Amino acid sequence: MIESQRHSYHLVDPSPWPISGSLGALATTVGGVMYMHPFQGGATLLSLGLIFILYTMFVWWRDVLRESTLEGHHTKAVQLGPRYGSILFIVSEVMFLFAFFWASSHSSLAPTVEIGGIWPPKGIGVLDPWEIPFLNTPILPSSGAAVTWAHHAILAGKEKRAVYALVATVSLALVSTGFQGMEYYQAPPTISDSIYGSTFFLATGFHGFHVIIGTLFLIICGIRQYLGQMTKEHHVGFEAAAWYWHFVDVVRLFPFVSIYWWGGI
Amino acid sequence: MWRRVCVAPWRSALRCSHATSAVLRGRALAPISSSQPLFNAPHLFSSVSGEGALKKSVEDVAPIATGHEREEIEAELEGKKRFDMDAPCGPFGTKEAPAVIQSHYDKRIVGCPGGEGEDEHDVVWFWLEKDKPHECPVCSQYFVLEVIGNGGNPDGHSDDEGH
Repeated sequence: MIESQRHSYHLVDPSPWPISGSLGALATTVGGVMYMHPFQGGATLLSLGLIFILYTMFVWWRDVLRESTLEGHHTKAVQLGPRYGSILFIVSEVMFLFAFFWASSHSSLAPTVEIGGIWPPKGIGVLDPWEIPFLNTPILPSSGAAVTWAHHAILAGKEKRAVYALVATVSLALVSTGFQGMEYYQAPPTISDSIYGSTFFLATGFHGFHVIIGTLFLIICGIRQYLGQMTKEHHVGFEAAAWYWHFVDVVRLFPFVSIYWWGGI
Repeated sequence: MWRRVCVAPWRSALRCSHATSAVLRGRALAPISSSQPLFNAPHLFSSVSGEGALKKSVEDVAPIATGHEREEIEAELEGKKRFDMDAPCGPFGTKEAPAVIQSHYDKRIVGCPGGEGEDEHDVVWFWLEKDKPHECPVCSQYFVLEVIGNGGNPDGHSDDEGH
């Protein structure tokens, strides 16, 4: 039998999305710099670039779903790519957040004379860690448990239950994001309030950004699960989302302990 | 990670314990494609090997599989491989019982690593051509090409050089 393809890999068709993503990134970076310096049109270019990047992500990943679920190109060998890729990406994200936590520790463990030689710096109205932060801290791990529930449901072939579990995961995540947004709004310090504000808002802010990305990823998984696109043998996208989600909720513990709790006393 | 745990036992199975209690076991490497795949589907294999009367269909394993993925699963359920990415292995090839290397074309690059254990040598590479059995210059392992496809030149061009 002469087969059409003797190897198990996927040689993708030519696609415009890499270049469109690059152009979007170019517009975003140039626009961002223009926006932060006194140049006209920076904000427009920045927004255009961001929209373009988001559009590219949408269409690129839509193509991946088409090639995998609808065209069946994702053999076991091909699935390894996204698997290892997701893991490496999460590791890179860990490094990224590690940098911010290092910065926070650098400034807080040996506070300089300019901020009064104490941490938190003199005059900073620190948030009580036992209020909203403490409330949020169990909410995220609970949604982590819910995503594990969803995974087991998928593995057991219980498709409806998996959808419910994903809805629970996303709801908990949205609640926690809502609380966090409220906290940001009410918090006395701002990002420009000395090194405390900078490190606090960058570390918690980027974590929050990752929560939002993870939530979006899980929503897409929920939609796909509802449409019946995942099987108990093959659900690499869901696993990537679940790993990302576990990374997000584990990381949550570090800022709670080091920034909210230790950093506030 | 969990996949790596599964690869190891599979790799040892790849050492092709052929039934013959022959003293020497040869291995031939023919890496036209890239390096050894890390993939396997242990849960699929275990489910198939345990089956007695009930034959699983693709729908039991992956209800919405289609395309190459489906072909891969179908072949696995029958115990065959749709995409055979492994290096060929088998008993040491002699003139009477040569090591048979398959190819879809009229020639294939083959590497001979020698026999088992002490008889191993640095890999010797050569083109194995149709109707031209080849003997390894180091260990004299005998290879023969079996054309299982369309034949022709692997790079798709005609045989004369320079075009």
